[in-house]
Amino acid sequence: MTEKTLIPAAPPKSRRYVGEAVLRAEDRELLQGRGGFLADLAQPNAAEICVVRSTEPHALVRAIRKERALEVPGVIAILAADDLDFVDEKLPCVDMIPGTLDVRQRVIARDRVRYVGQAVAIVVAANRYVAEDAAALVEIEYESLPPVTDHMTAMDSGAPLLYPELGTNIVYQVTQQDGNAEFAARQGDLVIRKRFKFHRQTAVPLETRGVTAKLIENGERLHVESCTQLPQVLRAVLAGAFGLSLDSVRVTAPRLGGGFGCKEMVYPEEILVAAVARKLQRPVRWLEDRREHFSSATQAREETVDAEAVIAPDGTFIGLRVTGWANIGAAFGFVGNTPITAMGAMVRGPYRVPNLDARMHSVVTNKSPLNVLRGAGAPQAALVMERLLDEAARILNIDRAEIRRRNLIPPNELPLDRGRTGFANSYHIIYDEGDYPRCLEEALKLAEYEKFEVERNAAAAKGKLLGLGIAMYVEITAVGPYETARIALQPDGTVLLFSSIMPVGQGSETTQRQLVAEELGVALEQVAIRQGDTDEVPDAVGTFASRGAAIGGAVGRMAARELIQNILSCFAALLKCDPSIVKWKNGGVAIMGTMEDYIPLSEIPVRLRSLGGTPESKGIEARFRLDVPKPSYSYATHIALVEIDPETGVIKIPRYTVAHDCGKIVNPLLVEGQIVGGVVQGIGAVLREKLVYDSEGHLMTRAMMDYVLPGASDVPEDFRLWHMETPTSLNPFGMRGVGEGGTIGAHAAMANAVADALRDYDVPVDESGPFNPTWIMEALSRPLRAAALKMTEHD
Amino acid sequence: MSAPDLTPPLKTLDDPSESQSPLSVTVNGKNIKTFVADRLLLSDFLRDHLRLTALKVACGEGACGACTVVIDHEPARACTLLAVQADGAEIVTLEGLNAPEGLNHVQKIFQQQHALQCGYCTPGWLMTVYSMIERSIHPDSPEVAQYLSGHICRCTGYKNIWTAVRLALGADTQNSTSREE
Repeated sequence: MTEKTLIPAAPPKSRRYVGEAVLRAEDRELLQGRGGFLADLAQPNAAEICVVRSTEPHALVRAIRKERALEVPGVIAILAADDLDFVDEKLPCVDMIPGTLDVRQRVIARDRVRYVGQAVAIVVAANRYVAEDAAALVEIEYESLPPVTDHMTAMDSGAPLLYPELGTNIVYQVTQQDGNAEFAARQGDLVIRKRFKFHRQTAVPLETRGVTAKLIENGERLHVESCTQLPQVLRAVLAGAFGLSLDSVRVTAPRLGGGFGCKEMVYPEEILVAAVARKLQRPVRWLEDRREHFSSATQAREETVDAEAVIAPDGTFIGLRVTGWANIGAAFGFVGNTPITAMGAMVRGPYRVPNLDARMHSVVTNKSPLNVLRGAGAPQAALVMERLLDEAARILNIDRAEIRRRNLIPPNELPLDRGRTGFANSYHIIYDEGDYPRCLEEALKLAEYEKFEVERNAAAAKGKLLGLGIAMYVEITAVGPYETARIALQPDGTVLLFSSIMPVGQGSETTQRQLVAEELGVALEQVAIRQGDTDEVPDAVGTFASRGAAIGGAVGRMAARELIQNILSCFAALLKCDPSIVKWKNGGVAIMGTMEDYIPLSEIPVRLRSLGGTPESKGIEARFRLDVPKPSYSYATHIALVEIDPETGVIKIPRYTVAHDCGKIVNPLLVEGQIVGGVVQGIGAVLREKLVYDSEGHLMTRAMMDYVLPGASDVPEDFRLWHMETPTSLNPFGMRGVGEGGTIGAHAAMANAVADALRDYDVPVDESGPFNPTWIMEALSRPLRAAALKMTEHD
Repeated sequence: MSAPDLTPPLKTLDDPSESQSPLSVTVNGKNIKTFVADRLLLSDFLRDHLRLTALKVACGEGACGACTVVIDHEPARACTLLAVQADGAEIVTLEGLNAPEGLNHVQKIFQQQHALQCGYCTPGWLMTVYSMIERSIHPDSPEVAQYLSGHICRCTGYKNIWTAVRLALGADTQNSTSREE
């Protein structure tokens, strides 16, 4: 037995980590190339799967002939819908509301294909090369049906129907209103009507998808490993698909090589690969290649929005009417109706606009299913509102900053109920604490807004078109409904946090350890974390909607708080003393009074043993469930400066400024990384990226050579960032989400900046572009606006 | 020396109709003599046969740089080369640059500058930086942009990668922050 020292060890100074730019510990493995991504994990006995996919946008499947493919040496099996049994073959969609028509995707095409890339058959072989050889020999006899790719055309009477039994291609409708939805213009009011078009994009995480499946524990349990942001959801869907108990399914997910929303989905392959493992009773693996990824991972953003704004002569927006139609592709994604719903719900951003009438729709077409992508509808919302503000400012001749000041919600009106949303768990949008006017002023100052016209003239003298775009947004973050975590004291005197938040690159391993170390008052090295295993955290929600740090971090820290209480109770019981004299202090147990003592965390297990407790057999641990009835609302101002070279149509970004408020910041280094990375994704979205389908529904952009992503030269030359930190009362530690904001603001700020640079030309800029050189050169060939012509004449 | 037999039975292209050729390469200083299927990609040979999984296959067509290795002192895309094309070559992968313990100099700079997020593209960047250092590229040279244009990073927005690469090439460190883990 260890003798108690008579002089208690001096409690160390409590360590503080929240708010510190702590470097990421996970970087060590990643930088050494030992990240342990799904494709890196050795699967020595797994057979490889290649998915045979539809080459037809819309067709009936008449026959599947496998004979020739089965002759390829090394082929183990070829399976189609008729060879596989499911208790439930529909994939989940969580945002269906009363009246929604059920177009949930099936795990495999039975008699009809609705998009190019849809899974039709599966080849199982010794290796991927052989599997691909055989896949090319699987003959599928199709009877072509007329396709429809444009969502506006798909609503016409007589348009081809994807689901004839439903009688319509409009499958989801939601109305969201606030104030007086019947608002009308009074004499003297300005009315702006515009139709906005948003192009189709895709997330392109550098890591594609992948799934392995095997039977474990004498074949009694199914183990599926997948690149998913939602391991617990996937487990429930697998159990449902095969009629298994939840306990008999284990889902694990390794670190993800990026997600951005495209892995917030339960995919057909995740169920199919498991079905093959069950049917063949052998381990199998499917690794998606990039070509497959372009047509078979979810896509995003495509929608059309008609907006009508009524604006008083002083620039105050009286009301906004928006009607939106999302092109959701051939079936529901997991949250396929979320973007269009969020667009209508959040279109007013930080501006008062007392009256809202938003009517949003989802329309099915013969394209790949749509799902969320970083921002989830908010980029479209901000672009519409901010373009309307600039347009009103131009027509009413009001300064662009000033018209925003006149419309912003002042801090004394917060929290503010913005009306009921149409989300499945229908709640009121209630903006929490913040200071939107200050956010605007800080950004204007940082961006040196007042000197812009001088810069514009200087650029014009060099033949360059300079434009400035301001954009503000408010975004839903840190959504519920709940999250869970577990934390355990380890025999070596460290603690281990079991978290349901997936590491997708956001640094969740480090931020969650920071929060736990801060709560316990111990060194960061004394806190370890494990993520992505449903055996360790069976009940949880997942990683999306900017909830990782704010919700996942908070629940982990609350679990640590609970762990302290459990440790203290244990000591009080073993010492048979009054619990009030056993306290947690500076990372250890402090015992007051005659038994005065201090036991640091590292020595707690040893001391408990010496006192007769058995921590190594029983372990002290804590579980916590944090209910999150209301999301919190982060906000920001983005100011983009663009320089157009009229000779080439190339856009440069000399300066980009962000002032933002995500509440309490855990790690400013990582917050900055999220914002800069998000902004460049947004810049790529509006300057470069576009998924192109031909009119028949064939995807033309099927590789990274075709789909142009932002590169190292697309970075703003001067990036300026201002953190505001208004803690939210909705989170126990004041945190909001920050993962998506950069992308949201960049769409609108860049569109406004491009419009401003082209202000002399008759170009409406009522779209998301992409504003690539072709687009710019076309715009520059348009006639000059009347005002610009007049000025030219005076020159 | 023959290749370590890490290839599990299911993964070989051992069909007799599969045309094979001898392959002799040096990988991270080790001589390897083996037979490979003619159509085996170099990326698959390194990842699946030698289990050198630092390089990643992300686009499969040489567009993103995640599979970059250094072949005879030139950065090259392992995903668009056949293994047999590397016959007689000297290949360096990230595993060959790793310090015996902890991080090497360039890796430390990447960590300090938060120049990676998901880390999937990172091994490719590190191989290109290794080549740039080997060729003594000046941090202010316009060639830096040319090298960086061969890589896609979807997370960081490149800002911190620029800083890290320039520091690795010996740029003045005064304007950069040094942080402790």
